[in-house]
Amino acid sequence: MIRLAIGAGLLAFAAVPAQAETTVDWLHIEAVEGTAAIMEAAAKEYEAAHPDVKINVQFLENEAYKAKLTTLLQSDAAPDIFYSWGGGVMSEQVEAGVLRPIGDVLSAEARAAIGEAGISAFTRDNSLYGLAQNVSQVVFWGNKDLLDQAGVGADDMKTWDGFLASVKKIKDAGITPITVGAQDKWPAHFYWSYLVVRQAGQAAFDAARAGEGDGFAGAPFVKAGQMFLDLVAMEPFQDGFLAANFSSASGSFGDGKAALHLMGNWDYTVQRDNSASGNGLSDDQLAIFPFPTVEGGAGDPADTLGGINGWIFHRDAPDEAVKFMEWYTSNEVQSRFAAASVYIPIVAGSADSLANPYFKEISDNINKAKWHAIFFDQELGKDVGGVVNDISAELSDNAISAEEAAELVKEAVDDSL
Amino acid sequence: MLKRRLLTRRWVALMLFLPLTLGLFTLLVVMPMFEAANFSFYKWNGFGPPTDFVGLRNYDDVLTHRHFFTAVKNSFFVIAVSLLVQLPLALWAALALVANNWGISMIRTLFFLPYMLAEIAAGLMWRFVYDGDYGLVPAVGETLGIDTPFVLGDKFWVMPAIMLVIVWKYFGFHMMIYIAALQSIPREVIEAARLDGVSRWKITRHIRIPMIRSAILISVFFAIIGALQLFDLIIPLSGGGPSNSSNTIVSFLYQFGITRTKFGFGGAVSMILFAVCVIITLAYRHFLLARKWD
Repeated sequence: MIRLAIGAGLLAFAAVPAQAETTVDWLHIEAVEGTAAIMEAAAKEYEAAHPDVKINVQFLENEAYKAKLTTLLQSDAAPDIFYSWGGGVMSEQVEAGVLRPIGDVLSAEARAAIGEAGISAFTRDNSLYGLAQNVSQVVFWGNKDLLDQAGVGADDMKTWDGFLASVKKIKDAGITPITVGAQDKWPAHFYWSYLVVRQAGQAAFDAARAGEGDGFAGAPFVKAGQMFLDLVAMEPFQDGFLAANFSSASGSFGDGKAALHLMGNWDYTVQRDNSASGNGLSDDQLAIFPFPTVEGGAGDPADTLGGINGWIFHRDAPDEAVKFMEWYTSNEVQSRFAAASVYIPIVAGSADSLANPYFKEISDNINKAKWHAIFFDQELGKDVGGVVNDISAELSDNAISAEEAAELVKEAVDDSL
Repeated sequence: MLKRRLLTRRWVALMLFLPLTLGLFTLLVVMPMFEAANFSFYKWNGFGPPTDFVGLRNYDDVLTHRHFFTAVKNSFFVIAVSLLVQLPLALWAALALVANNWGISMIRTLFFLPYMLAEIAAGLMWRFVYDGDYGLVPAVGETLGIDTPFVLGDKFWVMPAIMLVIVWKYFGFHMMIYIAALQSIPREVIEAARLDGVSRWKITRHIRIPMIRSAILISVFFAIIGALQLFDLIIPLSGGGPSNSSNTIVSFLYQFGITRTKFGFGGAVSMILFAVCVIITLAYRHFLLARKWD
């Protein structure tokens, strides 16, 4: 009798896993509900088409995610797929051996659709570790009403000298020229980074990060710092900019309190969401301007600064995880994000679905750039990147000389090599 | 015989309760401490076990870091203001509010409320108070017809502004310690003094304060250690800025050690802080608490 019961129990047990099911843990940092909903719908859709795969969608808030990831990746709770900004942080993960190369699973079509820039952003030592999802660029967002009032147009701001003259003109008109959230430091680092992109260019940047010659203490980097100080000397920023963070600076731009805001394309929605009115600036009031070119600078005037973000895989991730992401980063899914003006997908063909005129323009800019420099605080890793953020915030406060700033970045690089 | 039985009982109680507590304490306090000490001799970014032994270099890096001494200075500034402003204020409030009646309990609760508030919430709240565009400070300034600075963006004002929040938040806690002690003073002592015609001020100065000496010593100790460990108010208020002028030792550790995944550097900062705490504790015991333990 007992034996029979056990036998029946075993049979029942054996009947359950009719199909082998693979669970894929997918960790994202998307806090905007509407966007997260599109992501979850995509996961459900994939599950329906692949009954043997279960996608387990997980969420962590941005700052918590960054702080937790190193530990998480070395624990049993490590996700299979997780968000990445590429750059030096990913290089450290590759060196630590916590990532899975995906070149063996990814189809040639997917590789071609993502394109050269996206593939190389997630390649280390000839191995591909991730799938690029979207690109972003830092631009000057402008308030047309205020710029018109001051008599400043796009042509006036094409060069750095012209830009400085425009800032003066805006200030003379009684308008705050620029908002910046310097307490967060990274918004200030866009200035130093872009001036380095223009003044030093890609070759000098690559040499400096490798510690060659004078490295980041070299002349073009000091010059970049000096040019930033020239701007700072005009007191172009809003009152209390050192106590302002990204969201408050963005909100005050959205409220029409300043003419310009140097920020990534995501500011399109952020300036609206953080404005006191909740409306922000309308499409008619907004304008974007590329970062001014620098006369005599070694950088190509078309070079851009921004990001290429995507998804990378834990070393124990199953093939199914890569297969799911291959589908997720394809145009079929990514065009939904383009249509919703969430971000600018990198995959070929998605540009046609971009509803937002600014995103279209930015997408073109990045395509034309010979060098799309990744945010320096990501590209150079947490340590050196942190120092770049420090010195940028201190330069905006005129609390440090251009020479000291350059020397500190060089020391951090030497220390990390 | 009885003594023996008592001893066995005590032994059983020890065996029952001590292992768990000791285990938890070791796991959560002692081990991380030794780990941090160990990390402080390595260059380590948190991946895998630390292997790159660098000797005392992290300590050298900390002590020569251009923002470390600002952080140390700020921590000692917090100690000084806590002792010279916060505790006297708490004592004064305690003396005024020691009686037990409905109205006074309400005021006491009101003063104690900030202490119950989470640090992050309090920090964010005061960030709004200080905000130069929409905050309370510029509104008051406007009424009085004076130009107020953006206090959290001003190198001179940022530390006093943070200190105001600290005093506001913690003086109620110290007040409660004093009130508890004051209420345990036998009524007869005070009454006897009063009958002898001793003035109120003299009763306070020569009877009440000396009789709550141990409570004061404990609260001073809390204030010092709390000041050295101050972190969670700094981050939402100023984030250590502007230009790293308002970091404390712990927020310095967090900004330059943890968020940059330089765990060896962070370990070195924490060891230095630990050494400072140990020295202060031992000195405090030796010089101030000694008489009590004699």
